[in-house]
Amino acid sequence: MAITLLIVDDDARFRRFARQLLEGEGFAVVGEAADGVGALSEVEALRPEVVLLDIQLPDVSGLEVARRITSGGGERAAVVLTSARDGATFGSLMSESGARGFVGKTALCGAALRRLVG
Amino acid sequence: MDSHSAAVPPPVRVEHAVAHTLATTSGSDRVYGAVLATIGRWLGWELGAAWEIALPGRGYLRCVEFWCAPGTDASGFEELSRRTVLGRGAGLPGRVWASGDPCWIPDVTVDPNFARAAGAAAAGLHAAYCFPICGSGGVLGAVEFFTTRTLEPDEELLATMAAVGSQIGQFVERRQAEEALADAAELKHAVLDAALDCIVVMDQHGRVLEFNPAAERTFGYRAEEAIGAPMVELIIPPSLRRRHLAGLERYLRGGKPVILERRLELTAMRRDGSEFPVELTIVRIDLPGPARFTGYLRDITDRKHAEEELRASRARIVEAADAERRRLERDLHDGAQARLVSLALALRLGRAMLEDDPAGAGVQLDEAISELQEATVELRELAHGIHPAVLTEGGLAPALVTLLARASGVARLVGVPSERFPAPVEAAVYFVVAEALTNVSRYADATGVEVEVRWCDGRVELEVRDDGKGGADPTRGSGLRGMADRVAALWGTFEVASPVGGGTTLRAAIPCAAAVTAASPRG
Repeated sequence: MAITLLIVDDDARFRRFARQLLEGEGFAVVGEAADGVGALSEVEALRPEVVLLDIQLPDVSGLEVARRITSGGGERAAVVLTSARDGATFGSLMSESGARGFVGKTALCGAALRRLVG
Repeated sequence: MDSHSAAVPPPVRVEHAVAHTLATTSGSDRVYGAVLATIGRWLGWELGAAWEIALPGRGYLRCVEFWCAPGTDASGFEELSRRTVLGRGAGLPGRVWASGDPCWIPDVTVDPNFARAAGAAAAGLHAAYCFPICGSGGVLGAVEFFTTRTLEPDEELLATMAAVGSQIGQFVERRQAEEALADAAELKHAVLDAALDCIVVMDQHGRVLEFNPAAERTFGYRAEEAIGAPMVELIIPPSLRRRHLAGLERYLRGGKPVILERRLELTAMRRDGSEFPVELTIVRIDLPGPARFTGYLRDITDRKHAEEELRASRARIVEAADAERRRLERDLHDGAQARLVSLALALRLGRAMLEDDPAGAGVQLDEAISELQEATVELRELAHGIHPAVLTEGGLAPALVTLLARASGVARLVGVPSERFPAPVEAAVYFVVAEALTNVSRYADATGVEVEVRWCDGRVELEVRDDGKGGADPTRGSGLRGMADRVAALWGTFEVASPVGGGTTLRAAIPCAAAVTAASPRG
């Protein structure tokens, strides 16, 4: 059973690559968003199981979006943060955001995502 | 030989006559003349001259006064004497200076040590005597007399004249001391009056004793109003007064001076209550008696403004550098780095598709190649934007040609020197032009822009002129101020003329005394 996935990144090229890669590895990409506002509304509308979320978004920090998605009770999507930058540079900010973890863009693959979301 | 003229009064009366002359002659410049006349008339000799040692320590005597008896024509000899300068031991006065004793020459025309022998012979003069003018410190000058007769020495006369010499000497010395004192007092007043700094003297109770013209102008009190008033109330703002007084009292009671003899910066107050920054030094006046203090105050409002502007300018430059680094990081991340990520993903996808879908893998590889090419171009552009290699290697001429060719819109390079300049100067000119061109393309709505760079009069001058809508305001937006800061950091000037609707002209001039040749070191 494919895991439903929302891809959030302002770079359309990256969204296309991620979709092609992950759809071949057991994920069903149900939507895409290019900014924080779009991400929150698509999470609300599509209820994906996993959100692949770029930290560098044009309107608001991805960390803040992650916090909003994961706070509160009920069925909440698992957020995996991604970035072209090294995850270590964000340090403790990552754990405070509520995300399950971080996968660098160049290391992106289905196995890495599954490891984090369980 | 001949005896003296008839009816010569006894020499001792000459002393009284001289004393009377000294006491009654007013005008120190007429004393010598009066004394020569007195002696000459009393003793019946035809010519007299007074010599003074020119300034203590100088090595010569000069003739300062001349007298001749009525009916005597001695203009030639007078002129000769006034022109003659004698060293110690030379001539008649010089001998007397050296020995300190009077001297008598029976016939000067045949004397081996008489510089004016020819002139004396022409005037028919023969006998001469000379006595020193002595003060407490030694010989001050000499007085000599001549007559047409040839005479043997008169010892009694010489002895009397020696005493007269001392009389005159004491008088001259006292007069010189008084004049020196008057000169010094006048000099001191002139110095205080002309001083640009405020000078205030106060007594140990803090009352003003002196208030120079600069203090009057700066604080707004006339000296008459200030003298006698407590200095603290005139000059120090209310908040500082107690501390000032406490410090002064502490010093007077024998404590260590805290505020004395150091340059302090503090706030002073004018008569109208307005406050301004001053630099203050207080020194104790080193004279016996009750304590007195001199305060030197300088209004440093201008200096403070300049310091603050310098500090602000430096802060802006540092912030600009930091902002530039942040921009760089962002550009790298958004540009070349994003491309490399796409490149990596395309290659991974291609690898994954290789066995099952070779054609699809081929498409991914083509994407990868195209991303790589674009990433290379982006990195090159970025590096060029950071610091173009053509500027480092070739200088302003090729760098500006390239810059203008890449600029959007019509840009014309009117002129650029072919010389190389120190790296900071070249960088400043290049980046000011680059930013100016960016501003033109963003804001000006211009049909054309001209760039001109010249090196003349030890300055590199640049001008960027556009025919757009003008109205550029250096106080709004940091771009123009950033350019001004860059130029100011090299002691240059920067100005913007931008009337609304009338185009914009940027002008900068950076001092640069010498071009750089291949052999000289480059920064």
